[in-house]
Amino acid sequence: MATKPQTLHAPVPRSVGWSLLLTLPMAIWSAVIFSRSYLQPNRSLQIASTATAAFMVLLFFLMMRTRRTYRWRRWFFVAMGLLFPVGFIHEVVALRGSMGIPIEEMIAGRTPFCFIPIPLLVLPAALTKTLVFPGHILASPSAAGGGMAAMAAIWLAMTLVVGKAWCSYVCFFGGIEEGMAAVPAKPKVKKIDPRWRYGPWAVLLAMVLLSLAFFEPTYCMWLCPFKAVSEYVAARNVVGLIQNGIFIVLFAGLVIVLPLLTKKRTQCSFFCPFGAFQSIFNKTSVFDVKIDQSRCQPCVLCEKSCPTMSLNQQSITKGETLMSCMKCGACVDACPREAVVWHIRGTEVAVEPERARLIFLYAAWAMAVMFGGSVIADGLQTILHVIV
Amino acid sequence: MKSLKAKLGYTGAGLTLFAAVLVPFVLWGVFSKGFASLGLHVDEVYSGGPTVRTIQGTGYTIDVHREVIPHFFQRENPFVELAWKPVGVLPPRISERVDIDGNGTPDVLVSFDVPKDPKAMLHVDVESLNPRYESMRNVGKEKFSRLIVRVDDAILVRIPVAEP
Repeated sequence: MATKPQTLHAPVPRSVGWSLLLTLPMAIWSAVIFSRSYLQPNRSLQIASTATAAFMVLLFFLMMRTRRTYRWRRWFFVAMGLLFPVGFIHEVVALRGSMGIPIEEMIAGRTPFCFIPIPLLVLPAALTKTLVFPGHILASPSAAGGGMAAMAAIWLAMTLVVGKAWCSYVCFFGGIEEGMAAVPAKPKVKKIDPRWRYGPWAVLLAMVLLSLAFFEPTYCMWLCPFKAVSEYVAARNVVGLIQNGIFIVLFAGLVIVLPLLTKKRTQCSFFCPFGAFQSIFNKTSVFDVKIDQSRCQPCVLCEKSCPTMSLNQQSITKGETLMSCMKCGACVDACPREAVVWHIRGTEVAVEPERARLIFLYAAWAMAVMFGGSVIADGLQTILHVIV
Repeated sequence: MKSLKAKLGYTGAGLTLFAAVLVPFVLWGVFSKGFASLGLHVDEVYSGGPTVRTIQGTGYTIDVHREVIPHFFQRENPFVELAWKPVGVLPPRISERVDIDGNGTPDVLVSFDVPKDPKAMLHVDVESLNPRYESMRNVGKEKFSRLIVRVDDAILVRIPVAEP
């Protein structure tokens, strides 16, 4: 039975000095990561990198000072989501003059490879040693992106570190819908059938089997909403037109309209096969989010605030999130009684939750600076390059 | 037991943090090399398969690639790729009998114009001289197994192989 929540209270802020001290390691990390841009004689890249490093360090400082995670992470995540298409589209247009990828570019192996097809490539690769993607295994100077080996490697390395938190600290697609979900003050659609949660698993299963059967990256060819803001199959016939139509409809529906109506990350929650795949790594991560039953009054503010519907009454009663939790921190920030806490597996719930939060944030934010930071810097550099 | 579990948890968290620091300097490179050394290759429907023979033309060459056979329900025909290169020395029109299987008898007559503009649309006619290979009339880039395209410094023609 839901009861009226207690008056929302903000956690006691840390002192500025202590917050600065906690931010220092991240400032050093950011300086190391972005110092590479100063090795290149590109002034706009240097300015963009400096601004990005300052932005990331400032957000981390605010996380330390306010003890809030989600609201500051969201600034980074939305910035990454909005700036990724800017940098990426500029790069592919500069390389080939169009967002549409023609068949000769696929034959040349110059299709940029993102992380989403990774689970779709596993079975064909395991059975025939064949990668069903028209890209380069190693980086090619004439192609956007770093090649399939580099992307697979960064995915594996970061998954070891952040697990499913990839979806809220690394994924450069999720920020657009998170930004859209942040626009309305209240959701217009409040009741969502919980069975939609199984959508990503259904899409993942279907795409894995179809990719094996048809020996093509089926999701990329037919269903990826983000083709609408990255690159698409150059429409050379009716089939190509249909493919591009599907991309646009899915993008408009799942990434723009539904997040505006529901205040949820609907593409991630109901559709993304990579998100489902990444959920498996929630079982291997040492970090999770728990609910301290001794403090919880079931006000369900955590459930309402979760952007991916990863909490329900049963999971709250059990004191844990569902497998799809991406550790964005929305529920932790929303809880008025500090009952929803960061947690390290094996430790007791609610014993030093801030310590668990800090260790997790250092790891996750380090990855965010490294990967997302480069995406933001790339987008900013493009804007500087084009406008200034 | 609780204490041991907690110690293991904190050890795992510490190792995760250590791994985070190693990602850009060690892990990324190690995993990239590991992936590259798995011996995986890009599907030949895209890459065209390895070159098995090179035919000398007048100033240019024709690479004959190994026949590509699609997997499972792949929506392509088996095909053979021929690559004329370098494009810069090709005559304005190619009309050439090509011995694909290397038995000394021409298998196809391939004809296409070589426009100076590298972005110009290409079209090819292929007359089959061996029933194993399919004829094509005025084909551009219909599908991976039936096309003519310019890729870097080569003009590729993919000729469908008749299925048995």
